[in-house]
Amino acid sequence: MEIIKLDHITKEYDDGFVALKDINISIESGKFYSLLGPSGSGKTTILRIIAGFTEPSAGKLYFAGKDITGLDASKRHINTVFQNYALFPHLNVYENVAFGLKLKHRPDSEIRQKVKDALKTVRLDGYANREISELSGGQQQRVAIARAIINEPKVLLLDESLSALDKRLRKEMQFELRAIQKKLGITFIFVTHDQEEALAMSDEIFVLNDGTIQQSGSPVDIYDEPVNDFVARFIGDSNILSGKMIRDFEVEFAGKQFECADAGITPGEKVEVVLRPEDLDITATDPKLTMTVQSQLFLGDHFEIKAVDESGFEWLIHSTNGVKIGQEIGIFFDPEDIHVMRLGETEEEFDARLETYEGEDKE
Amino acid sequence: MKKHIWSKVYFFLVLAILYLPIFYLIYFSFSSGSNMDHFKGFTWRHYQTLFNDGRLLAILLETIMLALLSSLIATILGTLGAIAIENVKKSGVKRLLLSLNNVLMVSPDVIIGASFLILFTTLGFSLGFASVLLSHIAFSVPIVVLMVLPKLREMDNSLIDAARDLGASYYQVFSQVLLPALTPGIVSGMFMALTYSLDDFAVTFFVTGNGFTTLSVEIYSRARQGIDLEVNALSTIIFLFVLLLVGIYYLISNQQGKKGSKLGGLLR
Repeated sequence: MEIIKLDHITKEYDDGFVALKDINISIESGKFYSLLGPSGSGKTTILRIIAGFTEPSAGKLYFAGKDITGLDASKRHINTVFQNYALFPHLNVYENVAFGLKLKHRPDSEIRQKVKDALKTVRLDGYANREISELSGGQQQRVAIARAIINEPKVLLLDESLSALDKRLRKEMQFELRAIQKKLGITFIFVTHDQEEALAMSDEIFVLNDGTIQQSGSPVDIYDEPVNDFVARFIGDSNILSGKMIRDFEVEFAGKQFECADAGITPGEKVEVVLRPEDLDITATDPKLTMTVQSQLFLGDHFEIKAVDESGFEWLIHSTNGVKIGQEIGIFFDPEDIHVMRLGETEEEFDARLETYEGEDKE
Repeated sequence: MKKHIWSKVYFFLVLAILYLPIFYLIYFSFSSGSNMDHFKGFTWRHYQTLFNDGRLLAILLETIMLALLSSLIATILGTLGAIAIENVKKSGVKRLLLSLNNVLMVSPDVIIGASFLILFTTLGFSLGFASVLLSHIAFSVPIVVLMVLPKLREMDNSLIDAARDLGASYYQVFSQVLLPALTPGIVSGMFMALTYSLDDFAVTFFVTGNGFTTLSVEIYSRARQGIDLEVNALSTIIFLFVLLLVGIYYLISNQQGKKGSKLGGLLR
């Protein structure tokens, strides 16, 4: 069921800066969404428009089919977990979590029970009487979540909520956020600039840049089939080469022709080819390309190798085994590992093209 | 190590110089003589005269009343003013308003006092308690604004968003989030306004009429006829009272300090 819809939303500030250009998003209930983009891409502006802190310059916002574009933030069934948590420093944990219910003058017994449940959901039982200043970053984060879910919102917005935590805690909270979302069964909209975070948690990701949505889809779709080189570069590491389409399922790059899985592109058209570094296998027999190792970094779970091929392109390769610097290595990849991108193709055009030849396959 | 001792000596020297005049005054309040030339035997006489001097005691009470009332009203006006200034979007207008506020802070009391006198007489406003109260409020407001503004800037604006998000009306945002966050600034602003009002002489001197006078003006007019040791006795009592107040304030802020920083600000 569609719970939130952004219909041609545009935001232009007084100084002429256009933060959002014609955004159309449909959010379904009960799913985990991520708005992913670099800083200044407009992702937080979208969040603030949904929450009601910022008014769009044009366009409409619908909540469960009703137009709430002009509705006050305090009257929306949407709650927010802020980037810096925004916990009230003069109140303790209990009072912070109870804030939303106390405003509604609910009976004390009800408030006590609900606060207890909320604290249990975020695994902070027994912390009710602590002061905010006594809590660690991760605990403050949980209090902020408990405070936001106490009003039983239909949608929870999370603004870069994990960015202030250290790496281990962040990983832990990713799992927990996902678990909380599953448990409550409500929609989460998570704003982040961290692609790993978005890939790990989301049902669906919206990739934003320069106030427009570049691509939306499941984490796997976005990772495997980026629609343009911005998405390819922003999500994960990648080797992006310019190439030429020879015919359907055959593409030329790095001076050679390869079988690939893409079609529907005019033969002879200039394209960009994406190869993920972890899809490249170092092989001694039957290599598709040969190159010379320039440098190598050991990153714990894998080696990051940089190597230059005959055409002078610098490749990035992830390998579980190390190589020697200066060594000549052969590279192997499958046709499916090659992803061909047309220059300037939009997401709709890409989806339409995919339909044409993938449809043929299925028949 | 030697340097350490000298810094202590210097510190106590400064303190001694600061407090010496007050202790000198207190010392002579117990002298049975009629002036401060020589100490002549211990006596409580000046304290007895003081407590029998109904006029001076009445003036003391009125001065305290005036200080409390003017600082209270100035605190309310100043806090609202600070919020209004902080909410001004255009930076030019904001700077202008702040400058106007600061001009009042730095301009000499004599000028402020004289201008109030001219204003009140032009308007035909009779001089008395009301005129003194109004002028005390007027010179206290800028102080409160200056004390509250930093707290307002320090405050995380997302706290307001968070309260709105949880369903707070504008009034609830003000009373439950904004005011608690500003409390340290408001309290120190009020204390400053209180002390400014208590010890103001110049402005008050201009705008007191015949019927009403404050302690500083009264002591000044008495001192013109030669210092009476009754004034010493009064000063001693006020000094002890202030010492007590500061002690209480210190205790309160110490306790609050353990729990976060709800009050504090003036002494830290």
